[in-house]
Amino acid sequence: MMNKLKLWLEQTMMISFAIFVGILIEGVVYAVMGDDLANFNLTWLQLLSVILTGALCSVPTLFLFTEDDRKKSHFMLKLVLHFIGLYAIVSIFGFIFKWYVHIDGFIFITVIFFLVYAFVWAVTLWFHKRDDNKINKALDDIRDEE
Amino acid sequence: MQVLFEKVNSKEEEQAVIKAVEITDEISGAIELLEGDSKSFAVSKDDKVYIIKASAVYYIESVDKKTFVYTKQGCYDCKYRLYELETLLGGYFMRCSKSMIINLKKVRTVKSQISGRIDATLLNDEVVVISRGYVKEVKRRLGI
Repeated sequence: MMNKLKLWLEQTMMISFAIFVGILIEGVVYAVMGDDLANFNLTWLQLLSVILTGALCSVPTLFLFTEDDRKKSHFMLKLVLHFIGLYAIVSIFGFIFKWYVHIDGFIFITVIFFLVYAFVWAVTLWFHKRDDNKINKALDDIRDEE
Repeated sequence: MQVLFEKVNSKEEEQAVIKAVEITDEISGAIELLEGDSKSFAVSKDDKVYIIKASAVYYIESVDKKTFVYTKQGCYDCKYRLYELETLLGGYFMRCSKSMIINLKKVRTVKSQISGRIDATLLNDEVVVISRGYVKEVKRRLGI
């Protein structure tokens, strides 16, 4: 139970951070396109909505990582459902919190979602790689000779 | 604690003497590690009973409430339950899933999967799975 809670908190922080990075990219893109950066600001409701979205997006992740994933195909199926579930959450929350109003805004949110999803997985895989290296190095010191 | 190392010429002369006020958890752990290789237990195969050294074990698996011990020489039945062997062997023997104990000294390399589990390739080229829930304990045992 504690492990699940820890995973949920980790994911909430990582996803929320990634969404903030996405918003930052959005601001930079609009600035490059000629918008006045002074008009680009975040309200407390937007900040709260990002954290709330991060927290809710972390819930499907708890079902993604279970101990019964012996088959890779089983996990990949769950990963596809996870992606669709998160996309639905972001789209609905984006609509409720007015992250987008028109179709171009929705397309932008979609692009940002793809980038955030890829970013979170890239970071996760990087952590895995780093842990592998540490464990393999430690195993080198204790391994039996055969 | 001061640690002294003295080189000896043969395996028979090897010994470790620990001088301490009391046996702490750290000292118990050190004793477990040092004794690990010399521990042995009974297993059976084809109605014959064998005594095998812990250092010969690659992994131990429980299937349908039966315990099987895997070594380079093959697979043996064992009367002990997994939790008993876990306590008996200690050291670098640890649970890697609900139904398996792995000898970390027999792991050649590990590779994380996207699902968070770790595939451990043993010295006999068999691959066993370290479940997500046990990865933290693996790191702790290895001092990471």
